[in-house]
Amino acid sequence: MISAFTILFAMSLVSLFFHRSYLLKPLSLVALLGAGYATFSGTVVPLIGFATNEQIQLFELVLELVLFATILHESEDITITQTLFLGSASVLLLQSDTLISFILSFEALSIISVVLVSYIKTKDQAEGAVKMFIAGSMATGIVLLGVAFYLMGGGMLLAPLSTQGSLFMGIGVALMLAGLFYKLTIVPFHGWAIDTYALVRHSHAAILSGVAKTVAALAIFKIFAPFLAEHITLSMPLLATLAIITMSLGNFLALFTKNIARILSYSSIAHAGYMLIAFVAVKSSYADEGILYMAIAYIFMQSGAFLALDSMKKEYEIETLDELKGFASQNPILSFFFTLQLFSLAGIPLLAGFLAKAVVFYAGVDAGLWWLVLIALLNSALSVGYYAWIIKSIYFDEGTFKAKLVELHLPLASQAILAVGTLFFGVYAGIIFR
Amino acid sequence: MSGLGFIFSPFIIAILTALLFRKKSAVSKFVALALFTTMLLFSLHLFTELPSSGYLDLGTFLAVPQFDFFLSLKVDMLSTIMLTLTSVLLLLVALSSWSIKNQALYYSLLIFFSGAIFGVFMSTNLLWFFIFWELTLIPMYFLVGIWGAERRIYAAVKFFLYTHVASMFVLLAFFLIHKEAGTFDMTLVKEGMLLSPVLIWWLLFVGFAVKMPLFPFHTWLPDAHVQAPAPISVLLAGVLLKMGAYAMIRMVLLLLPETSQKYAWVLLALGLITLFYAGFMAIYETHLKKMVAYSSISHMGLVAIAMSTLSYAGLSATLYEMIGHAFVIAPLFLIAGFFHHKTGSWEMKDMGGIMQKAPYISAIFVLAGLGALGLPGTMGFVGELSILLSSIKSFGLWMAIVALGSMLGAGYIIWTLRRVIYGEMSEVVKKTDFSMNVFEFLALAVFALFIILFGLFPNLLFEYINPAFAQFSSLGGAL
Repeated sequence: MISAFTILFAMSLVSLFFHRSYLLKPLSLVALLGAGYATFSGTVVPLIGFATNEQIQLFELVLELVLFATILHESEDITITQTLFLGSASVLLLQSDTLISFILSFEALSIISVVLVSYIKTKDQAEGAVKMFIAGSMATGIVLLGVAFYLMGGGMLLAPLSTQGSLFMGIGVALMLAGLFYKLTIVPFHGWAIDTYALVRHSHAAILSGVAKTVAALAIFKIFAPFLAEHITLSMPLLATLAIITMSLGNFLALFTKNIARILSYSSIAHAGYMLIAFVAVKSSYADEGILYMAIAYIFMQSGAFLALDSMKKEYEIETLDELKGFASQNPILSFFFTLQLFSLAGIPLLAGFLAKAVVFYAGVDAGLWWLVLIALLNSALSVGYYAWIIKSIYFDEGTFKAKLVELHLPLASQAILAVGTLFFGVYAGIIFR
Repeated sequence: MSGLGFIFSPFIIAILTALLFRKKSAVSKFVALALFTTMLLFSLHLFTELPSSGYLDLGTFLAVPQFDFFLSLKVDMLSTIMLTLTSVLLLLVALSSWSIKNQALYYSLLIFFSGAIFGVFMSTNLLWFFIFWELTLIPMYFLVGIWGAERRIYAAVKFFLYTHVASMFVLLAFFLIHKEAGTFDMTLVKEGMLLSPVLIWWLLFVGFAVKMPLFPFHTWLPDAHVQAPAPISVLLAGVLLKMGAYAMIRMVLLLLPETSQKYAWVLLALGLITLFYAGFMAIYETHLKKMVAYSSISHMGLVAIAMSTLSYAGLSATLYEMIGHAFVIAPLFLIAGFFHHKTGSWEMKDMGGIMQKAPYISAIFVLAGLGALGLPGTMGFVGELSILLSSIKSFGLWMAIVALGSMLGAGYIIWTLRRVIYGEMSEVVKKTDFSMNVFEFLALAVFALFIILFGLFPNLLFEYINPAFAQFSSLGGAL
């Protein structure tokens, strides 16, 4: 059977010939369905160094569903092609099993992310793209330096990361993690992300912060968890400090921001902090499920929120909280979907965001880190401050909109898919724990 | 329909109501009335099925055994009483919101709230309990934020944030319980299984004290109470605060009896401070609804005092006072809101002599006011007397100071009656027409009926309340 990667990669090449044709979107959607079926039947990338398991398979299915919604929403041909490329790179990264396949697919994902944002129309987008390019190159350099150290210490490229080893190998892994944390926007490697997520097109930001980041987080966890568990005395305090700084900084800065995209960027950084708790609590048997659940919830809600914002900006020119005032009376359905995803991000129950946080935080308590979880919980409560404020602008304030009839069929369909995902994983947790 | 249906069907009905009846919004209130009546019948029906002690199992759903995450629904006497109280209040609130604006959305939020609150009282899995506990915030946030008074946005956001932060302590406590006792099922957890009961006790106590609310965690409530529309104030006082008290009884007192015994003085001290502080604030207030709000908080202080006795008699008195407080404070809020709606002012000095213009409504206000200060023959008297007796029994004669709290109540209520209902008719009142919608008046009349009925025949309630705690009478305390 053809693997999901092959289908997506072939389709992204073929899609180049269908630009400016109405066939492009339907074909891409069909390809994603095919990829979903291939994933469901358990195919693996037909190369050495790739493997899959049930958790990865589940996440890939979710990923393909989210990409389906993203492409449904998208109106730019070039972005559809890039999204397909990014999907195939994501599958590669998720299934990579050895260090070399991990590094290569990670680079593939990074490069495609840069290509995605470099379709520039305005000055702001250029700024965002350049920042991302520079930060990305830096990160790549650091990762490769880490790999060099790791190899110097006697590590192997064609094997999974070894858990035992010399000092050089340890330094190598630490450097690799530092580079990878750029992608995860862990403070102090977060600087680029705020500008990039806020300045590039919102649908691109949805893919960058919603899809690429979660894929990276899950893959990094899969590769590095055994090593971190082995060196828990050193990794625990270090990563716990990073987690605390990351979520607190993200949440505090978001409180004082008026630009909605910027708020979502800060919230994205805060969520990276929550994800890091799974890395800290790697000893707990719930850490696996925790990061998986977090990734699944986050990919739905972050993509949903940014895609909704994309529609708002395109049709209503909404960028700041002031411009959002009274939006509920203007477009109640889009407001509802946006609100739902925001509540999920805030960790309100019956939505995926709550259960994801609950499992990750429980993993923390299970590993004996209740003080870290308390800080995370208070952070999560703090974050309600800005989410509730956005919702306040939508529903409670009087708006100054001119009545305008906008037809948003496909974006609303895509929003509906993402909302159903958020709701489904908010009620039915059984599928994560298998 | 099973218990599960009463939790999740409101969510679906709420969405359908909001979508379908946007044009014909009058239909939505009949949907709400029908649903709440069914809920009331269901709760009453549960009484006939309850076993003589312990839980009635309503089924387990959505099982995730690896995380001990089961939606297990079980009810005992305590939760059935709460369910009944909640559905009665919801029904009356739906009636008294008869002429509110934007009805489809309003009633669909009310319906959503009813599902969440039923979940709170029915689920015995701590995580699902927390889910429903948090879910009640969402409709309340919108109900206060959209239909509230001038400073509604500030009040709604403050309410949401404040109670959400408190819930985080509760969630952490639940995680610790699961880690140490190995289960999220509150019927299986025993205090002996826990390694750090003191930490868990404090986390739970603070979390629930905010919801009750107890001094010094009460500051969100005056804002929320005052800014919320009158029917929603009734829900806040009658359901949301009771939810806090219910959780305090179930998770703190009954789950951790030994630690609670050790720290009962904290509950007692905060209860006393709340009683007197809120009482003095109520005397000081000239804002009619704020006065009612502080009176409401002051009564929750009484509830906390009764809880702190940890005795059979004290817990029964707690539950009676919780019900009594809901019925007494509701008409006060509704009528205060009504006066504001008609006169356009909150200040007592703008009112006065309303009795001459609106005798029936004023009579109910007077009755409820007398209930709040504990006049014999009303629910307030039975509640305050049984709390006084049970606390004297547990802590000694110095608890007679609780009676002073009632005297404060007499102070602010009678003075308010003097300024608002009686006295000279003010210019504003002279110009105002105090005609009330018949359905809204019906709701008030039912509240008044309850106040007198259960005040004259308290045994009608105690017959059900006492068995709720009969199984715990051995857990220390006076009896």
